[in-house]
Amino acid sequence: MGILKGKNMKKLKLFGISSAALMSASVITAGISPVVTTAADKKTEIVLWDAMNGPYAKAMETMVQAFNDSQSKYIVKVQHQGTYQTLNEKIIASAKSKTLPDLSQATYTQVPDLKKMGIITNLDPYMVNGKNKLSEKKLNNIYPGFLSSSKYEGHYYSVPLSKSVRIMDVNTALLKKYNLEIPKTWDDVDHIAQVLKKDGKFAVGFDKSFDMELEGMTKAAGTKFITSKEKVQFGSKTVVDAATKLYNMINNKEAWTAGVDIYGTKRFVEGNTALYFASSAGITATKEAAPEGFEWTTAVVPSYKGKIATELAGNDLVMLNNGKTNKAKSAGAWAFMKFMLQDKQTLNWATSTGYLPLTKTATKSETYKKYLSENPLAKAASQSLPYGFQSTAFLGYNDYRTEMTSAVDQVLTNNKAPKDVFPASAKKMKEIIKDAK
Amino acid sequence: MINQKITWKESIKGWLFVLPMLIGVTVFSLYPIVKSFLMSTYTDYDFINDVVYKKGIANFQYIFQDPNFITAIKNTLIFVIGAVPITIILSLFFAVLLFNIKKLAGFFRTIYFLPFVTSTIAISMVWTWIFNSRSGLANYFLGLLGINPIDWLNSPKYAMLTLIIISVWKGLGFNIILLLAGLGNIDKRYKEAATIDGANAWQTFFHVILPQLSPTLVFVFINSIIGHFKVFDEIFAVFGGQPGPSKSALTMVFYIYQQFWASNNYGRAAAASVILFAMIMVVTVIQWQIAKKFDFSRPTKVRTNKK
Repeated sequence: MGILKGKNMKKLKLFGISSAALMSASVITAGISPVVTTAADKKTEIVLWDAMNGPYAKAMETMVQAFNDSQSKYIVKVQHQGTYQTLNEKIIASAKSKTLPDLSQATYTQVPDLKKMGIITNLDPYMVNGKNKLSEKKLNNIYPGFLSSSKYEGHYYSVPLSKSVRIMDVNTALLKKYNLEIPKTWDDVDHIAQVLKKDGKFAVGFDKSFDMELEGMTKAAGTKFITSKEKVQFGSKTVVDAATKLYNMINNKEAWTAGVDIYGTKRFVEGNTALYFASSAGITATKEAAPEGFEWTTAVVPSYKGKIATELAGNDLVMLNNGKTNKAKSAGAWAFMKFMLQDKQTLNWATSTGYLPLTKTATKSETYKKYLSENPLAKAASQSLPYGFQSTAFLGYNDYRTEMTSAVDQVLTNNKAPKDVFPASAKKMKEIIKDAK
Repeated sequence: MINQKITWKESIKGWLFVLPMLIGVTVFSLYPIVKSFLMSTYTDYDFINDVVYKKGIANFQYIFQDPNFITAIKNTLIFVIGAVPITIILSLFFAVLLFNIKKLAGFFRTIYFLPFVTSTIAISMVWTWIFNSRSGLANYFLGLLGINPIDWLNSPKYAMLTLIIISVWKGLGFNIILLLAGLGNIDKRYKEAATIDGANAWQTFFHVILPQLSPTLVFVFINSIIGHFKVFDEIFAVFGGQPGPSKSALTMVFYIYQQFWASNNYGRAAAASVILFAMIMVVTVIQWQIAKKFDFSRPTKVRTNKK
């Protein structure tokens, strides 16, 4: 301490006095002139995490900017986290370190697990009660297929955001060459397969796994892998029959899966495949990958056993908390969620990303009709909406999904018949669901 | 008294110097290790709030009954046994060649070292293209030789082989650099003496160079084994975040990753890490025991010559 004596001590004192003076000065200014502090300083900051990239990330930034411009109280800051997987991992890591964002994109299937961790906020007090709630009319205006996944155990935990549906990309040139029509049923698909096989061409392409198409066929036949009452149907005859059909097509060289390419886009645009089952959100990617002059369109998936069913996929928005809720932040987070459900916003979002509009009135609006006439490829997705369904969410869903995809993988890469794999896998799923409770 | 005072002061100074490192090691190495051991006993655990409801050995019981874990151990061992010897033999081969060439040595060293400094993810992207079954370079060359295309990445028969090839290629650079340093440290006079005694190139290599190089080789060997036990990045990148077709590339670290991040079974993930730790430790201890039998400072052949 001796060193600090003399000159330096004086300096220290001076520093102390000046900083004290500065502080009191700012207190005084704040006291006499509140106008000096800008509105921006007072806004409650809401942090939003998403897994959007490229054009999708840009679209989200535009939406956030529109919200911020409309607000005097709240300011949303969006932070892109990378892939869905990374986002998921970061949520768990930040839950542990109590640094969760206020809002996040999340799949509805994660809701049960997030609720068990105690980090997701029940939206009932905002969505169906409270000053800023969604009116009955507005709630009913959201497609039931999208909204159904927002509810878990009778309470709302999420609002729909980025929704897509499984559709069929069609190589029209190839069909024309062989005088074939766009298939309406799986029997039509079989016919196409018979014709094309002779020339070494394929009827159907799938992504890495055909699980979403398989669950669509299962749903058309009257059930789901896991029913809404959490009964495991994965080993049932309905599922095994449908899976065997696809399995045989692959073995007979009538269909392929994308393998490590993950998406079948690349192989589809090579031109030797008539139909490619894909996400409606993948249209942009297929457009980019297609060589010049590649003639293709999109269509609703074919019916199976007389019915059409196609899986809705995508993400919701959830409100997160670190164990205790901050009223101002929650109100702001809800304001943003509600904002995104407005017709105008969901239309902006849909037309700039290719995701589906979330409300009925938005879908019927002139703006959207105009968009569809300019982008005919997007039509199949909105035509698929009446047939859309979502798979069941439950505790332990992630574990179940790992098991399910690995069963399909066994069939695809190890050449095992579904009847030899699925029943055993269903048994494991039962254990997973039991264990998670 | 005076002496003691100085030592006291000096040792504080010393501790201050190592303090930053010590804090780093404690926070990022020691604490996670201890925590992993503790976590492996948590059978009912609130990860977020760090509340342990139940402890026991159930996690270990579970993983040893889990066919996936057994597959993971098997795959890991196949990978280590397949990749490590090839990597080391090839590294040694290239290191000796590089050591002996006069021209362009620096150029070739750089070429071989490149894979080591490039990001695994970027490299893996290139390999997925090379091994693409329809449009990849590997099948193109096989085609020139009249061999039917192989589905390198989507067939459970070939996935492990593909992984080993990638890993060998990636491991070469670092090992070559270490072995080159080892070769440079061998006293030239041994080689000259052998030449005078009439030894041919093979004899010189096996009886002079190799024994002299053994300390480096032991280090390279242990380092490679540990590294290969922990393989993860390549698998994640090459197989699109999946453990290979039909789990054919499911290794222990990948199992740990799945248990932790996909299933949120933190206790089981920790238990699997403890087993991996134990396996690596056992193998390393065995290696040290074997290595001890060598007289590194005076390799046998040279010693007998002197006698």
